Amino acid sequence: MLKTFMAFSLCMACIGGTSAAESEREPFDDRYCTTCHGTDGRGNEGVQAPRLAGMEPWYLRRQLENFRGDIRGVHAEDREGIAMRPMATKLTDESIDDILGWISSWDYIPAEATVKGGDPLRGRDLYSGCAVCHGADATGNESLGAPALAGQNDWYLVTQLKNFLAGYRGAHPNDTYGAQMRTMVSTLRNEAGILNVVSYINSLSR
Amino acid sequence: MSKQVTRREFLNLLGAAGGTAAALKAGSALGLLPHTAQAATVDLHAANPANRKVAILGAGLSGLTVAYELSKVGYECTILESSHRPGGRIFTVRHGDLIDEIGNRQYCEFDDEPHMYFNAGAARIPSTHRNLLAYCKELKIDLEVFINENKTTFMQDSAVNGGKPIRNIDYTTHTRGFLAELLAKSLSAGEMDEPFTDAEAETLMSLIRSFGDLNEDNLYKGSLRAGYASGGFLEHGVQKDIIAMSELLKTQMGNQFLNANEGDTGPMLFQAVGGMDKIIEGFTNHVGHQIHYRSMVNAVEVKDDGIDIAYYQDGTRHLLQADFCFNCIPSHIMTGITNNFPTQYVDALKYIRRGTAYKAAFQAKERFWEKEDIYGGISWMSSPSKQIWYPSAGMHKQKGIILGAYDYIDGELHTARTQEQRIEAHLTDGEKIHPNYRNQVEKPITIAWHRMNHMLGCSARWQRDRNAWTHEEEELYHALQQPVNGRHYMIGDQVSMHSAWQESAVMSAQWAMADLNQQLLA
Repeated sequence: MLKTFMAFSLCMACIGGTSAAESEREPFDDRYCTTCHGTDGRGNEGVQAPRLAGMEPWYLRRQLENFRGDIRGVHAEDREGIAMRPMATKLTDESIDDILGWISSWDYIPAEATVKGGDPLRGRDLYSGCAVCHGADATGNESLGAPALAGQNDWYLVTQLKNFLAGYRGAHPNDTYGAQMRTMVSTLRNEAGILNVVSYINSLSR
Repeated sequence: MSKQVTRREFLNLLGAAGGTAAALKAGSALGLLPHTAQAATVDLHAANPANRKVAILGAGLSGLTVAYELSKVGYECTILESSHRPGGRIFTVRHGDLIDEIGNRQYCEFDDEPHMYFNAGAARIPSTHRNLLAYCKELKIDLEVFINENKTTFMQDSAVNGGKPIRNIDYTTHTRGFLAELLAKSLSAGEMDEPFTDAEAETLMSLIRSFGDLNEDNLYKGSLRAGYASGGFLEHGVQKDIIAMSELLKTQMGNQFLNANEGDTGPMLFQAVGGMDKIIEGFTNHVGHQIHYRSMVNAVEVKDDGIDIAYYQDGTRHLLQADFCFNCIPSHIMTGITNNFPTQYVDALKYIRRGTAYKAAFQAKERFWEKEDIYGGISWMSSPSKQIWYPSAGMHKQKGIILGAYDYIDGELHTARTQEQRIEAHLTDGEKIHPNYRNQVEKPITIAWHRMNHMLGCSARWQRDRNAWTHEEEELYHALQQPVNGRHYMIGDQVSMHSAWQESAVMSAQWAMADLNQQLLA
């Protein structure tokens, strides 16, 4: 028990430290990610928390900053975003650096396909619009600010595309990339279009 | 009253009563009610020395029950607990304790005294929960009565009585009076030939009169049962004014108010003296040395000859190899942990929805409720904070801890708010019952079980329809109850048809151990 305590105290020292009075209390850090996002950040459908392992650090940083800055996760219908935002609100820049370093230590293993009912052939046509930014093989493009889609949890892609389409995500005036997504996602038109394009993304290996 | 109640309607009501008896019988058949022959603890065979390593995932009540019982018969148990404390949702908060809500960490600042605690999770033990009570007896846990219903507490709804709170005793006395008068009128119409004999009809009528304290004309004209407006001891008691039925019918809170003291939460209820976690302490006195804290499981692999558990502790990955595994990790967290479970098993884990129960508590600078004749019990509000619980212990001490909000259905309503907004809402709601509430309470804490680190949910919700289990749900439930490869058991109140109770956690653990025992004998 003492050993564990000391290890955590050392860890705390790396990311800010505590006062003498607080150090007598149960210590904590900001490494909460795997409680929701699962083993080595591979995503957890049970709480609808997506895969972090393999996500680009620049994309993760942008999203953590958007959550922290009340740009994402503020719409009343964005249930998952609302769950995430309070977590990011308390993060310091140092904590974000620490978390990104931690996430980069996890192995990337592509997610299993779970979405049913989509038509990947139709999805392929729809994806041509997405490919401009996210790449033909959906591996992303940092210079355009577009993350990889291949290998991500498909249920997460479906939720986010629905949220963009409905304006639950990307409607904040400071969400520049989100606004671009909102424009592009309108080409998918409806839930059927979303399922089709996600089925196609599932067919792309990474 | 805009509509008369007909005799036919009344007889339909009686029919519904017959239905209740049938439902109770069915409840027993489903194992919802205890059987008289139920063993309090399990009778297990001694462990086979070559096959005695047990991994227990989670130091909640079900995990500790397994550790305690299996250790008695020679198994070598290792408990991996991801948080810093044992007990899971049996969590008593005291001075200095960390409440590890993700994004809203709090330290409890209550005064450091034995009676200044808050049961943030499990808080009540029904007298019919005999398996849990048997452990309390065996582990020498002191119990005291938990006061659930108290006639001097309040109900408050802005729609009724001008928003002013009504005492439980006024609401219940008057409502019973009005209901009894209504029943008496329906039975006085000379149509009593069927289905009652004369003797039965007379008994029934006297029961109705007594139930509602009706006068000789079978009318309700108020009752001294509601207490006195003045006097009553050295002078004649003066009866209180009746609150008109038309007024009481402006609120539907009565539905909740009247059945809050039936079923599991009916008398007699108990609590552990000094906090519910004394029960956990009772177990950890025996098996506490087996617990590895801050040990987060990240893979479970069931093999032909054993089971491998990978976990992180101190930032390092460790491997625990065991012959059997009992797992009380919440289903919605288990779905994010790498495993090789069969598809239907995983489907069952994914099917369960997580509960979102929410509680808040305050330290009271003085026990202001005692000045209003309240000692223990619950006041009910129509506003989102819903309930105020007055402590069942610590009578007449200077201070006490009160529950300031309890929402067991929709905790997300509260967690959409910041800590400051949550507290402000509870103060505003509490003021409607106790006008000086805001100045009388301090040092608030909130517990949102669906936001707690390593927990992310309260009691499991198996049913999409509250009234019935579907065939598919029952199949998934039974699939999850069965062991994987005879080696891995999911346990906890989540693997019961009656989640949210400590008894269910204990019984789920006992079921799994009994199954293992039978399997090894076969």
